[in-house]
Amino acid sequence: PTATAGAGGSGSKQDSTPEDNYYLAWRRRLQVVVSSLLTEAGFESAQKASVETLTEMLQSYLLEIGRSAKSYCEHTARTQPTLSDIVVTLVEMGFNVETLPAYAMRSQRMVITAPPVTSGPVTPKALTARQKKSHPPHVPSHFPEFPDPHTYIKTPMYHEPLSDYQVLREKAASQRRDVERALTRFMAKTGKTQSLFKDDVSTFPLIAARPFTIPYLTALLPSELEMQQMEETDSLEQDEQTDTEILPLHINMDESSAEKENASVLQQNASLSGSQTGEENLIDNPYLRPVKKPKICGEVN
Amino acid sequence: MPPTGLEPCRMNRKKGDKGFESPRPYKLTHQVVCINNINFQRKSVVGFVELTIFPTVANLNRIKLNSKQCRIYRVRVNDLEAAFIYNDPTLEVCHHESKQRNLNYFSNAYAAAVSAVDPDAGNGELCIKVPSELWKHVDELKVLKVHINFSLDQPKGGLHFVVPNVEGSMAERGAHVFSCGYQNSTRFWFPCVDSYSELCTWKLEYTVDAAMVAVSNGDLVETIYTHDMRKKTFHYMLTIPTAASNISLAIGPFEILVDPYMHEVTHFCLPQLLPLLKHTTSYLHEVFEFYEEILTCRYPYSCFKTVFIDEAYVEVAAYASMSIFSTNLLHSAMIIDETPLTRRCLAQSLAQQFFGCFISRMSWSDEWVLKGISGYIYGLWMKKTFGVNEYRHWIKEELDQIVAYELKTGGVLLHPIFGGGKEKDNPASHLHFSIKHPHTLSWEYYTMFQCKAHLVMRLIENRISMEFMLQVFNKLLSLASTASSQKFQSHMWSQMLVSTSGFLKSISNVSGKDIQPLIKQWVDQSGVVKFYGSFAFNRKRNVLELEIKQDYTSPGTQKYVGPLKVTVQELDGSFNHTLQIEENSLKHDIPCHSKSRRNKKKKIPLMNGEEVDMDLSAMDADSPLLWIRIDPDMSVLRKVEFEQSDFMWQYQLRYERDVVAQEESILALEKFPTPASRLALTDILEQEQCFYRVRMLACFCLAKIANSMVSTWTGPPAMKSLFTRMFCCKTCPNIVKTNNFMSFQSYFLQKTMPVAMALLRDVHNLCPKEVLTFILDLIKYNDNRKNKFSDNYYRAEMIDALANSVTPAVSVNNEVRTLDNLNPDVRLILEEITRFLNMEKLLPSYRHTITVSCLRAIRVLQKNGHVPSDPALFKSYAEYGHFVDIRIAALEAVVDYTKVDRSYEELQWLLTMIQNDPVPYVRHKILNMLTRNPPFTKNMDSPLCNEALVDQLWKLMNSGTSHDWRLRCGAVDLYFTLFGLSRPSCLPLPELGLVLNLKEKKAVLNPTIIPEAVAGSQEPVSNLNSHTQLIGFQNAEEDHLAKEASANLSAHQQGVKRKSDTPLGSPLEPGQILEKNDDNSKVKLKIRFSNSQEEEEVDMDTVHDSQAFIYHHLNMLERPSTPGLSKVRPASSRSVLMPQHSPGCDVTASAKPQWGMDLSRKGIGKEQSALEMNVLSVPATPLSAFTKEPSSSKHSDHHHHHHHEHKKKKKKHKHKHKHKHKHDSKEKEKETFTFSNSPASGRSVRSPSLSD
Repeated sequence: PTATAGAGGSGSKQDSTPEDNYYLAWRRRLQVVVSSLLTEAGFESAQKASVETLTEMLQSYLLEIGRSAKSYCEHTARTQPTLSDIVVTLVEMGFNVETLPAYAMRSQRMVITAPPVTSGPVTPKALTARQKKSHPPHVPSHFPEFPDPHTYIKTPMYHEPLSDYQVLREKAASQRRDVERALTRFMAKTGKTQSLFKDDVSTFPLIAARPFTIPYLTALLPSELEMQQMEETDSLEQDEQTDTEILPLHINMDESSAEKENASVLQQNASLSGSQTGEENLIDNPYLRPVKKPKICGEVN
Repeated sequence: MPPTGLEPCRMNRKKGDKGFESPRPYKLTHQVVCINNINFQRKSVVGFVELTIFPTVANLNRIKLNSKQCRIYRVRVNDLEAAFIYNDPTLEVCHHESKQRNLNYFSNAYAAAVSAVDPDAGNGELCIKVPSELWKHVDELKVLKVHINFSLDQPKGGLHFVVPNVEGSMAERGAHVFSCGYQNSTRFWFPCVDSYSELCTWKLEYTVDAAMVAVSNGDLVETIYTHDMRKKTFHYMLTIPTAASNISLAIGPFEILVDPYMHEVTHFCLPQLLPLLKHTTSYLHEVFEFYEEILTCRYPYSCFKTVFIDEAYVEVAAYASMSIFSTNLLHSAMIIDETPLTRRCLAQSLAQQFFGCFISRMSWSDEWVLKGISGYIYGLWMKKTFGVNEYRHWIKEELDQIVAYELKTGGVLLHPIFGGGKEKDNPASHLHFSIKHPHTLSWEYYTMFQCKAHLVMRLIENRISMEFMLQVFNKLLSLASTASSQKFQSHMWSQMLVSTSGFLKSISNVSGKDIQPLIKQWVDQSGVVKFYGSFAFNRKRNVLELEIKQDYTSPGTQKYVGPLKVTVQELDGSFNHTLQIEENSLKHDIPCHSKSRRNKKKKIPLMNGEEVDMDLSAMDADSPLLWIRIDPDMSVLRKVEFEQSDFMWQYQLRYERDVVAQEESILALEKFPTPASRLALTDILEQEQCFYRVRMLACFCLAKIANSMVSTWTGPPAMKSLFTRMFCCKTCPNIVKTNNFMSFQSYFLQKTMPVAMALLRDVHNLCPKEVLTFILDLIKYNDNRKNKFSDNYYRAEMIDALANSVTPAVSVNNEVRTLDNLNPDVRLILEEITRFLNMEKLLPSYRHTITVSCLRAIRVLQKNGHVPSDPALFKSYAEYGHFVDIRIAALEAVVDYTKVDRSYEELQWLLTMIQNDPVPYVRHKILNMLTRNPPFTKNMDSPLCNEALVDQLWKLMNSGTSHDWRLRCGAVDLYFTLFGLSRPSCLPLPELGLVLNLKEKKAVLNPTIIPEAVAGSQEPVSNLNSHTQLIGFQNAEEDHLAKEASANLSAHQQGVKRKSDTPLGSPLEPGQILEKNDDNSKVKLKIRFSNSQEEEEVDMDTVHDSQAFIYHHLNMLERPSTPGLSKVRPASSRSVLMPQHSPGCDVTASAKPQWGMDLSRKGIGKEQSALEMNVLSVPATPLSAFTKEPSSSKHSDHHHHHHHEHKKKKKKHKHKHKHKHKHDSKEKEKETFTFSNSPASGRSVRSPSLSD
């Protein structure tokens, strides 16, 4: 505690600028942390040089966390890092985040005394709602208080939702249309276009036809969007399965019913073809057989 | 095989045409095909074949095989080098500058060329001389092994390489190759006997890249790595005797799927498509099961393979134990529309496995049996799978198609019998192509042929019952399968070939019924029946007086005599009557059953036993007749035009349960735009139990009726409220429900109704604004998120609906179309199309259906003058590299543009594509579309029709398409559509005069004129010309002639029946010909025939030379244009032409200078020159010996006659027109002579001296 106080005092009294002071105080603080960690680890004394080195290391580590967290937060177009930015940073730096809570709450940890309180500008007291939450035991009491409960407590709100079907459909339709239009216009603006009118290329811009090297792939394979959609609806269909089978279909393409039929057919067929029943692994098909190695003496061919 | 076994056997069976007699003097028993190198980069193939043959005659010394495109390096017979020559007259049908340009001439020449290499006539392009060392061996009828090394470089037909231009190894790029072609086209990729009637067992070996799979016929015995482990060899054995034409191959980096239900069935597809393949083929085992059950016969091969490839030649191609499909048939579970289509393709190919692959045909004229049976059992499968309604609808559709086609073109003949020699009764004189060979047929004709074949099969079933029918099939199959297991008795194999007579015999054995009249009517004779029916009800006698007239004089019709079923629905029920249609009776009295008056309020019994209430107020009070149907079961190939009043049609639509009747009544109601019709149609639309196709048809009829009733129409536009009720939300009727296509019937109706609605027009003949808004709303609110199925077809149809709503723009003073004067409705439509088309680039739909519809819609906007007409957009979509459906849609638009805007440039662009496009299907399609939507037709004045175009098209069909039968026939079709049968009218006059001349002179034909005189007159001319111009060359030509004469006789005899005393293959001395034949005309003809092979004998004796010869031919193949040498000849032949008409009339710039000389020479006097010619010719050519009296005066007198005689002969003996240039030039000169004396020639500008 004395060392800290001294350092703080000397830093503030000498010829220094506020930045220097800040820097020195910060440095001291880190030294204290390093020292306490060392003590915690069982050291009784340490050379100044080694404490300095460790302090340097800690400092750069913390700086890196800060820098990286900031980039993550900026990447998602925010200005203030959130917890998840820090977590991602730590993960990225190879730190096992899951061990952190346990570490914070370890029993033998040393409590570093609170820094001298410089009374900051008094923020006008906002309307408080309820009691502020108190710190959990592992958080030193000089840490900032929890914000007002209303900032984090979920208040279930029942806004009358848009329930009018017509409005919803209307909205969905126009939204989709706007998105499609904007997207296609953008694509048309950024690439080659064709036009139906010689005098005007911008009113009805057509994205230029571009041949594919393998045209059938795009034509036949469902797009990812459709695949995704199919999976969704498939899960929905599970319940409705019963309805579908009742439908009088001329073309029976319903897979599930086909599947059932097949199951019974399978046995017949298997016996018909004389191949082994059931066992899928026993399929004897010449195209599944391994390729033979050439004979050493010249092969016919 | 005991070689002698064949002879006696053939003797017994040879009676009439029921047994099979091989046209070849040997029997092929086994063939090895080994392809040891396939280069995808260079698109080349190297390999060999080995044919095991047994001579059947002692003096066999030549073996003729089929081979096209292949470069043959070496031929060995029993390990001895053998000389061979290669000659393919189909490469260039009419040689060089023959200025004929008329299709009659071409078709004859083409048919002759095809038959000159027809394996069914024992001919072939490749002729191998058996080494003399083996003659003794042959005399003992011992086995010969013919080993041929060949290679194939950049094949243009037969094998198709698909090599995508991307990074990576060939396997990574998805490069593949497959065999393809129309009918027997195997000769394009390896030498063989390319006939469906020459069966043998096969050993097939393919060495391919280790990452590739080679799929071929028969059992995969083993796969072995090569020594460097970079390639592997697939060994296939096909022990079931199979025709070479049924051999196929597909090599590529295929994904392999063993069918989970049938392990001996394997499916192959291109990389990344495996999930689609799984889904697509998951149904196949049911088809297998169905066929095996109805035929009570197991699938004949021990395995089956399906391969799905890109750039397919046809959607479905069936070969022995494997089928090749277009990859575009693959689909996922989300696709509704494609699923039934693909299943139909699978079922079709499987039916052909039994009939077509396993059972082959004896000759081309038996093809109908195979197509008929496979089509028929496929129909049975359809009936079982899709239901009776769908089946009957399909039969009706096919019937309508064949009827329309036959009435348009004049008939499709299923079983053409080609009597030897007697060609007068040409069975297909109404057609512009010969039906003697599959390879000369128009593709459309062949499609219709197949259609008619299965319809006739159905007629036979009607006659003998399905049970017997299936017994017959079973009998054919079991006979064949017994025969196929006779490994060492190849003479038994002919049991695997079906013939018309054998089939009919089987039918009469099994059923005991005589179906000869039926066969005679529909199989041996072309044409369909056209009935006109009307009736009157005689109240006094309570009799229905039915009048049935026939039209049997129009082309494509025939007279029908026999039973005809008529169904009359009366108040008391439905009654069938069988009328006898006889020569002269038109009226038929049918007694009515109903005496009861209808106020009794009784239920009315229908045909199917159902009893229904009807509102009878619309009925004629005096008559008990509700409706009448003629031939309701479609048991005659006919078109019926029947007159009954509108209420009867309405009753028929509402209450007749047969879908065909319903569809007929819908079509009939178009003519009765009344509120009652409207109501009947609307009721049908709403009826859930009604067949969905009928409801779809009703939509369009309703639209038409609404348009006719436009002034009196009340209420919202037709179908709008109906659609709203069925498919829109209850609470907000302007918004369509989110898509749920679980009920396919509703789905199809939902798709169709807006398309039909868009055809509605208001009093100003515009699409009502309300309808357009409605369609736009459908598009706007379309929501497929919760749907199990893709909505791509639905959205595509919405675009079609938009296109349907477009009406011609009101144009003020032909103003230029710009954005500013764009109609606001069109602006909305265009907005949608733009968005759809652009979205397709980002989220493409299945098979790009939406792009296809957008392109069509844009063309509609252009055509209606809303958007400037411009083909540029379509041309960019037509480029290679777009999905084939898009390309076809774009090309269709360009074709349409070419027609509407008469654009020469676009036509040229299309023609270039026909010649150069990498995808054979696209090339075929362009020709097809141009034929269907031609830029101009004959008798039409068009700036496009000019001499250069004629030349271009002529060249295209003459030599440019020799690698693809289908394409060549397509070119012929186009030529026919544009110019007709005779000489195109845009060609210079003189030669046109010639044609006229022919016609006029027909009456004065003098039969006493002997044909030799013609020969005499021709010969000298060519001599003169070559003499005057090219003396050095002349000699060579004469030499040819000498040899030709001898060679050809023997060649001819080989082809036709051989006389026992003619020693085969020992070349006769030229002089001998005369001694052998006293009928001189015959001799002459034979020599003509031989012209095709005139070069054959040239170098037969040295292997070296024959190789050089082939090399030369292959070069010609690569450069179809006339080689330098031959250019001289046409010029020379033309020079004779010159004196007859004024210079400049038909003179091409290049030839002008030369001709000037000739002209002056000719001017001196024809007589002198003719004399001179003869003198010259005598010593040089033995042919002149035939010239009995080459006196020029006589000769000049009889020009027309000769010519005419010659024309006639031409018809008789197709061989006559041969393809060597020399002959052509003769032909040519003859024509010119005729011309000189023809009265028609007076029309052209002539030199006065001559006309004196």
